[in-house]
Amino acid sequence: MLEIKNVYKTFNAGTVNEKTALDGLSLRLEDGDFVTVIGGNGAGKSTMLNAVAGTWPVDSGSILIDGIDVTRLPEHKRAKYLGRVFQDPMMGTAPNMQIAENLALAARRGESRTLRAGITRAELAEYKEKLKELELGLEDRVTTKVGLLSGGQRQALTLLMATLKKPRLLLLDEHTAALDPKTAAKVLKLSDKIVAENKLTTLMVTHNMRDAIAHGNRLIMLSAGRVVLDIAGEEKKKLTVQDLLQRFSTASGEEFANDRALLS
Amino acid sequence: MKKVLAVAMTAVMGLSLAACGGSSSSAASSSAASTSAPASSAAASAASGSGETYTVGICQLVTHDALDAATQGFKDALEEALPGQVKFDEQNAANDPNTCNTIVNAFVADDVDLILANATASLQAAAAATEDIPVLGTSVTEYGVALNIPDFNGTVGTNVSGTSDLAPLDQQAAMIQELFPDAQKVGLLYCSAEPNSEYQVNTVAGYLQDAGLEVEMFAFTDSNDASAVTQSACDYADVIYVPTDNTVASNTGIIDGICQPAGVPVVAGEEGICAGCGVATLSISYYDLGVTTGKMAAKILTGEADVSEMPIEYAPNFTKKYNPTIAEALGITIPDDYEPIVTEEEPAA
Amino acid sequence: MANLASFFNALPGAVSQGLIWGIMAIGVYITFKLLDVADLTVDGSFCTGGAACVMLITSGYNVWLAILAAILVGMMAGLATGLLHTACGIPAILAGILTQLGLWSVNLAIMGMKANQSLNVSNHELLVSLRYLQDVSKGERPIWQHPIFVAALFTLVLVVILYWFFGTELGSAIRATGANPNMARAQGINTNFNIVLGLMISNGLVALSGALLAQYQSFADINMGRGSIVIGLAAVIIGEVAFSHIFHNFGLKLAAVSIGSIIYYVVIQAVVSLSEINTNYLKLISALIVAIFLTIPYWKGKYFAKPVKRGGSSHA
Repeated sequence: MLEIKNVYKTFNAGTVNEKTALDGLSLRLEDGDFVTVIGGNGAGKSTMLNAVAGTWPVDSGSILIDGIDVTRLPEHKRAKYLGRVFQDPMMGTAPNMQIAENLALAARRGESRTLRAGITRAELAEYKEKLKELELGLEDRVTTKVGLLSGGQRQALTLLMATLKKPRLLLLDEHTAALDPKTAAKVLKLSDKIVAENKLTTLMVTHNMRDAIAHGNRLIMLSAGRVVLDIAGEEKKKLTVQDLLQRFSTASGEEFANDRALLS
Repeated sequence: MKKVLAVAMTAVMGLSLAACGGSSSSAASSSAASTSAPASSAAASAASGSGETYTVGICQLVTHDALDAATQGFKDALEEALPGQVKFDEQNAANDPNTCNTIVNAFVADDVDLILANATASLQAAAAATEDIPVLGTSVTEYGVALNIPDFNGTVGTNVSGTSDLAPLDQQAAMIQELFPDAQKVGLLYCSAEPNSEYQVNTVAGYLQDAGLEVEMFAFTDSNDASAVTQSACDYADVIYVPTDNTVASNTGIIDGICQPAGVPVVAGEEGICAGCGVATLSISYYDLGVTTGKMAAKILTGEADVSEMPIEYAPNFTKKYNPTIAEALGITIPDDYEPIVTEEEPAA
Repeated sequence: MANLASFFNALPGAVSQGLIWGIMAIGVYITFKLLDVADLTVDGSFCTGGAACVMLITSGYNVWLAILAAILVGMMAGLATGLLHTACGIPAILAGILTQLGLWSVNLAIMGMKANQSLNVSNHELLVSLRYLQDVSKGERPIWQHPIFVAALFTLVLVVILYWFFGTELGSAIRATGANPNMARAQGINTNFNIVLGLMISNGLVALSGALLAQYQSFADINMGRGSIVIGLAAVIIGEVAFSHIFHNFGLKLAAVSIGSIIYYVVIQAVVSLSEINTNYLKLISALIVAIFLTIPYWKGKYFAKPVKRGGSSHA
């Protein structure tokens, strides 16, 4: 499904701020995998997702989705394979456009934008149904500007937008990190439901080890720009946070350091 | 608050529409008045002594010495011809050609008796705005060019006439040869944004080439690149000629600062420019030009003459003048028939 | 001429001019408000439109063809800025300045290397002209040739077209690009393409406005676009301040921009007609008008904020 082959990425090369973010990263996802990603500060979690999404070109290596080499494709062309939810609730939606308009934009991901109507009546009815499933009351506010929604509502909406048109791969980049615990739990539950219903192949970065263990069928841990742990199946189900910390220091030879991970 | 504004706006829109509808009657009566004015010219001229008052709108493109002098001459002449009978409404477009529209629009709405359009853009806007109110231009070089009249014969023939600030360009070319008989290369320096300059430099270039001199054009766009272009003109030329050009007039300091150290003399198209950076000029007086225009205006207002039959007039006399400070600095001997330009500045420089 | 009657007589001219500039302001609205780009190309492309229109009409081409050509050259100017910004990575403001700078020479070239080209209203049948104001009031021309009517019709048609366009998939993509480029790319929208397209549409409108103004005043001048970005922004801001609370529909917001432009020119005309102020102060007054309209919403929020009702029942 997704193949990341020996990818390197260095930021600010040749300056004092030089930082090797991906150091020969390789990863292979099977169809239907729901992979949670954890790692310390600067381990390359978000960088990996951005490399897949094409936010910037990688230095070397290749990325394949469904066997198609997308390494050189610009971000907007890769978008047709991908659904994305960002850490910052501001990033996934157009704040001064209506809820329905945002959904309509997402429904046309990967299609060429023509002079047909930007949103049709039939679509609007469909969106109301989908919004109802979020149980946030948004179905009655389809003409509200997204800028007026709360962070949690926006993330739920972004999640819906990312999956409205079924993506080959769903990228969740710490999408609950900016939310309060209660809302975070709700959005996470919603994510589980949507992924299960649509049988989506998913990469979910999280800073919360318990979430990483509780969700998905496979867990990977990144350190210094490469995969250091890859646990799946029965083994993952039995995992505890204590196990994880121990296996991390064995694998990487250092203490696990993530400002937020240990606190939560 | 918003609602009040919106209501006010609606009212303004309504009023303006009412004005354009309603003014059909008022303007009809005013046009009747204006058509009857030339017809009853005898009556009008008879009335001129009896203290009839006139309103004259003056639209000047920009404030600078030459245009100010023309406006002043115009007012003085009109005041002398019709003492106490003329009310002036003087407006300045601050060098924004679009503002001329707003100004002449107000004049036309006010139904003034005559419009003085000082400089090209003013004339164009005034000519576009009215075909009834007499319009006199001044400080305009070429009326045929300014009003897009093919085969211009010297008389516009509509409600437009005026005076041209054209100094005889053949005599200006002759002056370059008279003062600098050894010069081989003449650089023609002007601003590409000035409507009249290109015409002048092309004409002067023609005369100079006929006389066997090499010429090259140096056009700058505004004061930002004036110094660079002036520098390359200095590198090229033995003598530099600058035409009557508003932008040059505003940037004489730059030109003088480069040409004088380089030892390249400048012959200018106009006295104000010569005072700033030139050695010599064949000068028209914009004040005299304004006076000529003012006399034309008096004849039109009193009904003595019909504007559509008045040919474009030129400055009454030309004077050879020189700038004693720069001539001395460059060691140039000036013939006796040149008058020194007297500047009112303190002799600090 | 300090009397009210002459001001009212001058109003039709001021409103006509406001409507013509309003089309330019709508172009500015598209870049400034929808694309979130401050595009300084307009100071050049306004003149480009006027120059192209005047040159074609004086060469004997049909006035509609001249208008169409003006729109196309304006779009080319927008394309230049767009490519400098997206393909060459130059910041938008700088890209606009570069195009504006280059357009100076292009505009001179269009006008046959002359700074000013005249259009004789007596020799050509134009769409709008200062002259027609008088002609209509004298009854020599039908009322539908009144510049207010023609310019308002242009504005109305443009508002309808733009309202439709920005509701299409393509138009929505342009709005999304301006609202949140990250989100737009994540939804498969080519943001670079949309920025270029938006700049082209905007500058096409600006050039159309320049073409109409050149006809209205019977000349194109190399300086005619200078400072037009300020007038455009003034109209956008005035329209927004005056109408944002009652106009929510996109089409009405565009109309508000046009009305903002009319307000601007009515105030300018009032200054010229009613006061004894030296018109050399017009630029200062323009700056003050914009400053006042920028200040109103700020002060309203700061000093005149209505107390929020709590609960509602106890204070009701």
